[in-house]
Amino acid sequence: MIGMGKVPAIRPPAFALLPYGLAVALVAAALGLTLLLQSVVSVAGYIFFYIAVVASAWFGGRWPGWIAVILSAVAVAYFFIEPARSFVITREAAPIFLEFAITSSVVGWFSSWRKEAESELQRRVDQRTTELREKNEHLLNEMAERKRAEDAYYEAQAELARLTRLSAMGALAASISHEVNQPLAAVVTNADACLMWLSSNPPNLDEARAALESVAREGTRASEVVRRVRAMFANAKPERTTLQMNDLIREVVVLLAALAQRSHVQIETALEPGLPATLGDHVQLQQVLVNLIQNGIEAMRDLSDRPRRLLIRSQTSDSGRILISVRDSGVGIQPKDEKRIFDAFFTTKAQGMGMGLSICNSIIESHGGKLWAAANADHGATFQFTLPAEPAAS
Amino acid sequence: MNEPASIVFVVDDDASVRDAVKTLMRSVGLQVQTFGSTREFLEAKRPQAPSCLVLDVRLPGASGLELQRDLAAADIHIPIIFISGHADVPMSVQAMKAGAVEFLTKPFRGQELLDAIQQALANDRLAWHDRAQLAQLRSRYDSLTPREKEVMALVTSGLLNKQIGAELGTSELTVKTHRAKVMQKMGAESVPDLVKMAERLNISPTKSK
Repeated sequence: MIGMGKVPAIRPPAFALLPYGLAVALVAAALGLTLLLQSVVSVAGYIFFYIAVVASAWFGGRWPGWIAVILSAVAVAYFFIEPARSFVITREAAPIFLEFAITSSVVGWFSSWRKEAESELQRRVDQRTTELREKNEHLLNEMAERKRAEDAYYEAQAELARLTRLSAMGALAASISHEVNQPLAAVVTNADACLMWLSSNPPNLDEARAALESVAREGTRASEVVRRVRAMFANAKPERTTLQMNDLIREVVVLLAALAQRSHVQIETALEPGLPATLGDHVQLQQVLVNLIQNGIEAMRDLSDRPRRLLIRSQTSDSGRILISVRDSGVGIQPKDEKRIFDAFFTTKAQGMGMGLSICNSIIESHGGKLWAAANADHGATFQFTLPAEPAAS
Repeated sequence: MNEPASIVFVVDDDASVRDAVKTLMRSVGLQVQTFGSTREFLEAKRPQAPSCLVLDVRLPGASGLELQRDLAAADIHIPIIFISGHADVPMSVQAMKAGAVEFLTKPFRGQELLDAIQQALANDRLAWHDRAQLAQLRSRYDSLTPREKEVMALVTSGLLNKQIGAELGTSELTVKTHRAKVMQKMGAESVPDLVKMAERLNISPTKSK
């Protein structure tokens, strides 16, 4: 027997018998046709049996095919192999019978094999199609999921930005209230002192007058703070005047001389003569310099093994811009902090608010310049900023 | 004891606030000494007198809260009144828990500060008297001879002259003499008085040979 080794598909019993019925019917039809043909032309071939076998195997499958082969062989042996109407097969007729048997077996097997191959192919195609459909659905789901995740991410980012802005406002508000409360405290205290001097017996008018003068001075200072804050917030281009950065540096150095002396820091300047003028806000640029110098002084606070030197240099850069650098010999900047020192709230100081450099940065940027920092090769850090040079007055 | 005039120390890095507080103190006749940083305050030679400290929280270098901690660690007792440009609640709670007299937020009224200062000075005056008394007791005690110190310890532990004599291997008469000398030098009017002094000086009878 020629094995084909395929498990037939499971079907309900009624349907399972249908292919066998078909095989029987087909063989019966073939027998009828062949007998009919024989009665007409006296000799007939086995062509109808072959057709019956092929059709049974094709439509019914392997086993109905074999049934058709066996039934055909029986029918042929009985009706057509000499002697007719008998199952006896003579020696002379044996080859003919054998030929029929083998040929019908082969075509039956071939037919069912082709059919199974085709079914298998069809099955695979179906399976593949199903797989593809599933994958497609999966991909679509994934895309939807990704879209959702992206939306959530952007939402979270927006929320974070909002929170950062809010806390920046809070910190700024705290910083401003501190700045304003200092002079206000002096105003109130001086006013109260003045009342005391006036109510003493006899009133001390000189002291009262001095206290009132302090009141006026501190009130002005408070309003100056408020004005500066407003200028910073309006992001306006406040009071741009033509400035000599060298003059500004000298002013600031004088302003901070006492602090430097107290902190045992030696401030040195290397100012380029004939430095071009720049267009800028005097108070803001002063604020930047004060901030950078104070930072430098603070960075050297705990120094004991080397001189506390702060060098302020002004020069014209290669590209014709004004370049100011503040170099200290302090603790320097950790490489990991280099990117973050200009972020709001980043601070390495225990008492720091983390706003100073952030504000410096925005001031310099609003002047069309750039502020950056780098650790020195030996000790400390250098903060540098550029400012555009004002075209020489014509 | 003659009490020296009270003095107010002010530590604030803002010169105008510092000067304003100073003016206010002078207007009510208080002695005042000002400093720009905690370090200046610590390094300065401060007069020994009843005093209090008006301290800004946010200062260059060590903050006011750190100074409060350092002073406590160094066993320096001085009443502190904090003044702050922007006080947050945890900061003031921390300061008050650590024993601050008052926590004032700038701008404060002069009277608020003066009231706090008066209270702080009154507290410190009491403490100062206490400390001065103790110092006086200690110097008196230091003027005793070693034998007198032994006698004092034994007397204040409740022994009779006879027992003390036996303990020290001397006659009762000698003990009596020492005892009279101790009472006189210490300025004690009675034995219970002397016992109180011994308690303040933390004297316990030393085992003699």
